[in-house]
Amino acid sequence: MNPNHNPQSSDGGRHDDDAALTEFLASLMDYTPTIPDELVEHYLAKSGFQSPDLRLTRLVAVATQKFVAEVAGDALQVYCRHCKARQATIPKDKRDRQQKDKRLVLTMEDLTKALHDYGVNVRHQEYFADSPSTGMDPATRDE
Amino acid sequence: MGFTYPTNGNPNRRTIDHGGVGGRASSDEFGRAVSRIAVAQICESAGFNGVKNSAIEALSDVTIRYLIDLGKIAEFYANLAGRSQCSVFDLILGLEDLEQVKGFIGSGQSQCLLGSGTVRDLMRFVNCGDEVPFAQPIPNFPVIRQRKVIPSFLQMGEAPPSKHIPPWLPALPDPHTYIHTPMWDERTSDPREDKVEQARQRRKAERSLLSLQKRLLLCSGSVETRNTTSNVVVPSGGGASLRQGEGEGGDKNPYLKAPVDNKDVSPVPLPGKLSDDVDMIANHVSVLEAFAPAIEMMRSSGVLCEDDGMQGRTVLPAVRPTVYFKFRAGKKLIHESLDMRNQKKDASRTAALAGREDERDDKKRRAELILKQSMENPQELTLL
Repeated sequence: MNPNHNPQSSDGGRHDDDAALTEFLASLMDYTPTIPDELVEHYLAKSGFQSPDLRLTRLVAVATQKFVAEVAGDALQVYCRHCKARQATIPKDKRDRQQKDKRLVLTMEDLTKALHDYGVNVRHQEYFADSPSTGMDPATRDE
Repeated sequence: MGFTYPTNGNPNRRTIDHGGVGGRASSDEFGRAVSRIAVAQICESAGFNGVKNSAIEALSDVTIRYLIDLGKIAEFYANLAGRSQCSVFDLILGLEDLEQVKGFIGSGQSQCLLGSGTVRDLMRFVNCGDEVPFAQPIPNFPVIRQRKVIPSFLQMGEAPPSKHIPPWLPALPDPHTYIHTPMWDERTSDPREDKVEQARQRRKAERSLLSLQKRLLLCSGSVETRNTTSNVVVPSGGGASLRQGEGEGGDKNPYLKAPVDNKDVSPVPLPGKLSDDVDMIANHVSVLEAFAPAIEMMRSSGVLCEDDGMQGRTVLPAVRPTVYFKFRAGKKLIHESLDMRNQKKDASRTAALAGREDERDDKKRRAELILKQSMENPQELTLL
């Protein structure tokens, strides 16, 4: 319900919003999202989403792209924060060398931290052991 | 939204790296691969130079889950409103639900959906961000393969075998696919006909052999004594000399000698017994004598005359063409048979010295042997 007490302005506002939305949906047809339409349609059909309108499919694609872009951005921020924290402890000449060949690579730890904010808890296996007793103290290992 | 996402829970995903080797490919492989590419492109546009394999797999999986969740929530809201088809408002509600974790502008207020913060953020994202289309064209998937359907009874034009089977059901398989009937050879064997056929073949062989011998006689009679190179042996009698002669004959075996030219006569090696005379003329006589009764019989019956056009060829030219012999590995070899014949003639010769009757019997026996062998090799009859 509209909390505005002025009915006329609310109607006008709604019309504006309505117009903005229709305009936005129309502009979506020109915009090509990175996630292809076929993929989106496939997974929406899997979940039962039925819509003959292509604009809705595009809307979903754009929304997903925005989500992934935000996650990637957050991961980049985490990485930069890490780099800065590491650089504070290293002497100056090594820092220069590091800055030259710095390649931004998305790693699992950055991703985990970024996704944590979105409510996605990613559990990542740090290492794999050959047997349950690998790495244990030999004195305490059962023979 | 909060859910726990274990990265290594799906063992099949490792096989994506190796192209499906070492593990069963799930039916969703294509979708996962496509989302991988899309997510990698988005990360690149966000500023990353590279991406770790585990990270990209996790993120692509999260993307797929996001898509599915959004669809589910939007469908839920549509069903809640009593509709089966989703509208834009259902989508906006779904987006708001998913974004509640992070929070968006205007989430606390329940306002008209048209002015929701989610939509505004989305609009801002579209307008400000660069357009990065997907890298490759994708076919419409999943591709529905045309299954080969078994035609029904109606389509086959068959009537179902019994009343309880409706005609629109798939047809029953052909009986030849499940019934095996043994097959017998339907040829009728007539023993009388077989014997008649055998006798006819024997007569034919006899005829051709006799005509050949006749030709040889005529031909070698017209040739001068250049035939010293022939394998006419010079035994006077006795097994020892014959054996020597055989050795000589073996040396002068025309089979082992290469034909130099057409002028050189390479006569057919006559059987050892028949070549015990010194010169060919006497030899011819003996041969003629040997085959005289048979030839007489043939002449009387008139079979020889109506042979396959041999009349015109009774007088051979002076130059005898080289005779080519066909050696067959499968059946008895000719040289083998020759040896056998020679050996048999050795044995029979000592025995036949007793009387002419015995001699004639031996010759008849030899003729029979030749005929038998030529009968066993029916192809060689054509050569004769």
